[in-house]
Amino acid sequence: MSTILKIFVFPAALVIMCLGVLTILGGHITPGGGFQGGAMIAAALIFCLIIYGLKDSPFHLSHDFLSAVESVGALIFVLLGIAGLAFSGFYLYNLGVDIYHIVPATIQNLFDYPDPTHAGIIPYLNFAVGLKVMVGLTAVVIAFMGFKEYEEESEESEDLNEEEVE
Amino acid sequence: MIVYLGPTALGLLLGFVLGTRIKDVPESGLKFGASVYILFLIVAVIVSYAQGPFPYYTGTPFASGLIATAVGIILGKLVFGRGNTPQKMEE
Repeated sequence: MSTILKIFVFPAALVIMCLGVLTILGGHITPGGGFQGGAMIAAALIFCLIIYGLKDSPFHLSHDFLSAVESVGALIFVLLGIAGLAFSGFYLYNLGVDIYHIVPATIQNLFDYPDPTHAGIIPYLNFAVGLKVMVGLTAVVIAFMGFKEYEEESEESEDLNEEEVE
Repeated sequence: MIVYLGPTALGLLLGFVLGTRIKDVPESGLKFGASVYILFLIVAVIVSYAQGPFPYYTGTPFASGLIATAVGIILGKLVFGRGNTPQKMEE
């Protein structure tokens, strides 16, 4: 890739990431949410991967990191659902809003989202989905780039073997 | 001016996680120094001011979540992203 792209893409990716996070944070009252914001962050990471390549990318996305973030996202979602089940009897009940007035005020305050909308657990669910989508989409591209490199390496080694046989 | 805790905390957390992944790769021949992050912060402030108090907040004239994310990315880079360890290729 050209030098201009290599200089421009990393700072641009950082700004795109910020906009992705903002999309996640506004998901409870504006168009967007976890999936869309996560896809925007993934787009920024993929942008870097395409321009710099898998080895030279300034974002080091190891297998451990990707699996950990994906697991944390899934766990947050499931635990919020189980918390609703435990305190109200309904899976994924919005404990922070409590429209049926069936949970104690302490629990309601605990799961409240501190902003003017008081959307309860919805922003936290968006956050969890955003984490999962971000690493999920990035992992697909990393896997494809890894397969491509592996294919090229295996083709090169086959060529070398054929030359040695001849 | 009221800065709400929810978007600020979540933005900072997500930005921090992303910032920890940034590491210099000496083999690539490119080095993103402090100037890149200062420029990024200035651009983030301009973008957040242009965005307004997203989403439908009225406490500040700028998007506090975006500023928090930018600060989180820089903090994550400063705390965990200083090493130059090469990326491990999965077998």
